Amino acid sequence: MRDTTSSCARNDVIETLSGAQLTAWQTGRLREVTSHAYREVPFYRKLWDRAGVEPGMLRSLEDFARFPTISKHDLVQAGDCWTNPHQGPVAFSTRGTSGAPLLVWLSAEEEEAYIQPTMRGFRWAGFQSGMTALLMSPVWHRLAACEAHAIARLGGRCAFFWGSMGAEFTDSFLHTLSSQRPEFITTTAPFLLSLIRRSHGATSRPPHELFKGVRSVVVVGLPLTPRMREFLRDRLEVEDVFERGGTQEGAAIDECRLHTAPHVHEDVCYLEVLDDAGVRVAPGVRGRLIVTKLSTAGSVFVRYDTEDIAAFAAGECACGCGFCRLKIYGRPESSVLVGDRLITAYDVRMCIEEDPALLGRNVLLIREANARAGVLTVAVEGEARDPAKLQARLREQLGVATAEVVWLGDLRVNWGFRQVLDRREIQLPRS
Amino acid sequence: MPTENPYLCFDVPGGRLAFGAGDLDIWAEHLAWCYRMMGIPDGATIAVQDFGSSPISFLGSSLLMPGLRRGVAERIDGRFICLDASAERVTLTPALLAQLAVDALVIREDVLELLSAELRKKGFADLAQRTMKTIVVFGDEPPALNPARIPPSRYFMHVENALLLAPQCVKCECFHLRDGFYDVAGRMIRNLRMPAPAYGLPRGELFPPSHCAEGIRDWCIGWSPRGRGM
Repeated sequence: MRDTTSSCARNDVIETLSGAQLTAWQTGRLREVTSHAYREVPFYRKLWDRAGVEPGMLRSLEDFARFPTISKHDLVQAGDCWTNPHQGPVAFSTRGTSGAPLLVWLSAEEEEAYIQPTMRGFRWAGFQSGMTALLMSPVWHRLAACEAHAIARLGGRCAFFWGSMGAEFTDSFLHTLSSQRPEFITTTAPFLLSLIRRSHGATSRPPHELFKGVRSVVVVGLPLTPRMREFLRDRLEVEDVFERGGTQEGAAIDECRLHTAPHVHEDVCYLEVLDDAGVRVAPGVRGRLIVTKLSTAGSVFVRYDTEDIAAFAAGECACGCGFCRLKIYGRPESSVLVGDRLITAYDVRMCIEEDPALLGRNVLLIREANARAGVLTVAVEGEARDPAKLQARLREQLGVATAEVVWLGDLRVNWGFRQVLDRREIQLPRS
Repeated sequence: MPTENPYLCFDVPGGRLAFGAGDLDIWAEHLAWCYRMMGIPDGATIAVQDFGSSPISFLGSSLLMPGLRRGVAERIDGRFICLDASAERVTLTPALLAQLAVDALVIREDVLELLSAELRKKGFADLAQRTMKTIVVFGDEPPALNPARIPPSRYFMHVENALLLAPQCVKCECFHLRDGFYDVAGRMIRNLRMPAPAYGLPRGELFPPSHCAEGIRDWCIGWSPRGRGM
């Protein structure tokens, strides 16, 4: 295995830096990354020359904010010009939810940097030496590839189930769960919800029997509402459920035990939240998530606009970790425009889940052809329940003129990463 | 003999693979040998559309597994593209192949039809065939020829619970059971490097060593031309 002593020591120090010290350290890293990108990656050199910026001028985070943001489209178009000579031997694909997928490269040096925050996140989630972890497929995501390394270094065993993260593999997951008896699980929230739904079948064992002995579940893939976390924790009867997040482009976030909002692993990524004019927004205000990876290895991302909708949390977390906190609420694909308001599936679930009887039901937003009409249409699984109250709640809390709820009855919709359907894609029952 | 102190367990159809210290490198070396037998040159870019719990995936690089000192990518000084075999991910493959020329696409037989349809839909089928070798991974026997699928350049036999990895040789067209890794008694194939259940070959012909100069001490499995999809 690779020698990790020096990087472990470095990361321990990082976690205890004051805000000013961390800013100074990050500024130095940004200067290093931009210098490397300017020197080695033609795409950035051309881009920054055109914009009149160069790494030598970078003395502060305000200076860095003058560098232009980039999009996935820019990188797909750039082709070989975006190649980093140190990009590494392994590539992962983005999910392509917003158009063409992008191949993102990982190198050993970069992975080494990302294993440290993965270990930190797993420690926060209660992983201890000697435990067995049932993990996501290492080829699913570059962050998933770091997970087994982190577990091994924390003194644990890794178990993997056969298949992938689709609902058709829940049996396979349950088989491994019952035979390996893990204390720690990483998976996706849609997968867990599919599994809970599956357990409603007459012949299935209740989920809490299968999850007996599991202490922590760490989920990705769906922003957890507080009530959804409680629902998962109570239905599975596990000690706690943690939200983990990140992007193939380098963002990495993990919740601590206080669940105030996921902490950004600021030793590996520098994240910004900007409004539509490209101006940084205050904590608590939503904007677009911009990612810069603090590594010169792997694919280089400098001020990459993920299009994710996110907000920094205000203030400090009582857990004692000084890393800032960020909640990712969704993406344009998991949101609908109603009038001039962008409503995320997360926002709608927050409203719907106020009624405990609606917890765990799948919810889909329906994208109407005419957003200007100001109508929010939501499809909810199962039979109707207090529809007038729910419509009123949606109108009031989301600030839309009209809210329509379509009750899907027995129609079951797979829990997935996709939370919005175009009106023409689905034949909805009459409300 | 069971694996000592396994720290990695992979559930596979019909069984489980457990690996202790040093085990992974034995199999990564074998997998690199398999690729060479199938004509994949050193320095190649290999894309694998398989599940993460398949050794064809997780042995791809040391970046994917702890304790793996050198995966396939490091052993052939090549590159490894992780393509999960879920239907959702298969639909993305044509766009990825358009971005990057790969030398070999290794794909599970059960998703080949879906990928073929996606390639045709996006107009990449001809391009894909011109620029890369398609290696189709099957279990018990090679699939029959199906014009709806992109024609494979090679087949790769993989019986998951026996950790049986037998490449189709570029020279003799048969599937080599590498000497020192597998032993044959009657129609039973036994894994010599891993405590795995023996595999009973249901069909096909077994040729004893001396069949092919590419692996003079290997047993080989041959199928009729139809069985080979020809």
